[in-house]
Amino acid sequence: MIHRIIKQIQRYKGWVGAGAAVCLLTGTYLGLIASPPDYYQGEVVRIMYVHVPLAHTALLAYTVVFAGSIWYLWKRDRLIDNMCHAAAGLGFLFTGLALITGSIWAKPTWNTWWTWDPRLVSFAILFLILAGYLMLRTFLTEDPDRESRYAAVLAIVGFIDLPIIHFSVEWWRTLHQPLSISTRGVSISGELLLPLTIMSIGFHLLFAYMLMVRTQLLYLDELLQAKKGRLLTQMHLSRSQTSP
Amino acid sequence: MTGLYIRWGIFVLLAIILSMLVVRHYEAQLATVSPSDLILSPSTGSFRVQGMVKSGTLKGDVEQGAVQFELVDDAAAIRVQYHGPPPENLRELKTVVMIGTWDATARVFRAHEIALVSNYGFVASAYLLTFIPIGVFLFSMSRKVVVLMQAIKDSKLYEPEG
Repeated sequence: MIHRIIKQIQRYKGWVGAGAAVCLLTGTYLGLIASPPDYYQGEVVRIMYVHVPLAHTALLAYTVVFAGSIWYLWKRDRLIDNMCHAAAGLGFLFTGLALITGSIWAKPTWNTWWTWDPRLVSFAILFLILAGYLMLRTFLTEDPDRESRYAAVLAIVGFIDLPIIHFSVEWWRTLHQPLSISTRGVSISGELLLPLTIMSIGFHLLFAYMLMVRTQLLYLDELLQAKKGRLLTQMHLSRSQTSP
Repeated sequence: MTGLYIRWGIFVLLAIILSMLVVRHYEAQLATVSPSDLILSPSTGSFRVQGMVKSGTLKGDVEQGAVQFELVDDAAAIRVQYHGPPPENLRELKTVVMIGTWDATARVFRAHEIALVSNYGFVASAYLLTFIPIGVFLFSMSRKVVVLMQAIKDSKLYEPEG
C-alpha cells in the first residue's frame, strides 16, 4: 500500500516543485518588500520569514526519518529506508541553515551570534544527531542491512530531542521568544503572519519535492550499483564457463 | 538534460528579477548622504541624511517630537534639530535616516522626518545563505538523477520490468 501511495505522490512531483517555487517567490516578495517592519526589531524581523520555516522544515524532516525508521524496522522496506536516508540529508541541510539564519538574527537583536540557550542548544543537538546518522550511513556500507538497522535505531532514539526543542521555550527561562502560535492563540500581527505562512508552505513543499528527488537519486544509485554487480557476476560466470 | 537546464534557467531568471526588485526597493529607501558628504559639498533643498546618533548628545523631548543631537559617521559630525512626529524608538547609538534641509550658516541640519535604519546586511545575508545552498544542492541532485538515468541506459544495464 505504501508503495502505491509513494507512486501516486511521485506522479505530482512537478506540481509540488512548481508550487514550492511560486510560494517561495511570492513569500520572498511579501517578506522583503510588501510587509511592514516590526515595531521593536525594525527591518531585521524579515529574517523570521526564512528562519522559522527552515526550523519547522528541519523538524518535519526528522519526523519523516523517525516515522520511516519505525516502518523500516517493522517491514524491512528498502524504499522507505532510502526515503529515511534522503530525509536525513535534507534535515541536516535545513537544520544547519536554521542555525545559521538564527545566528544572523541573534546578532542585531540579542547582540550575540550564539548563546547557550535551551532552544539553541537542543536544536544544535538535532544537527549533531543528524550528522551522526549520516556518518553511520557513510562508514557502515559493507553490510547494507546492518547499516539501515543501526541508522533506524539511532533515528528513533534521537527523536527524544524533538519534544525538548518544541517545549524548551516553555520549560526553561530562555532568550528565545515563546511560541507565536499555540493553543493560547496567535500572538503575531496578520501583516507578518501572511508572508510567514506562505514561506512555511513554500519550504514544506520544497522539502517534499527535494525528498522525492533525493529518494529517486538514492534508488537509482543503488540500482546502478546492483546492476553493475550483477553484470560483473554474469561476466565472471561466463568467463569461468568458457575457460578450459 | 536540456529540459533540466530550461527549467532551472526560468527559475534563476525569476530569482534575478525578484532580486532586482528588492535591490531597487531598498536603494530607493537608502539613497542618502552622510554627514561627511554634507560638510564637503553642502546640498540645498530637502534630502536624506543617514548616520548614527552620537552617545551623550541626545537632548529634548522625544515623545513631543522635538529633539537635538549630533549625527556622526566615520569621519564627521553634524548638529541636528528635529521637529516632527514623535520618533519611534529613537535612542543614542542608533543609526537613523532623516529628511530635512541643511542650514549652512548655522551648520545645523533641520529635520522634519526621522526613522531608524536597520542593517540590511543581516537580512540580505540570511536570505542569500538560505537560498544559494538550497538552490545549489537541489540543482546538483536533479542533475545527478539525469546523469544516473543516462548512465543506466548507456551501459545497457537497463532492463524494462515485466
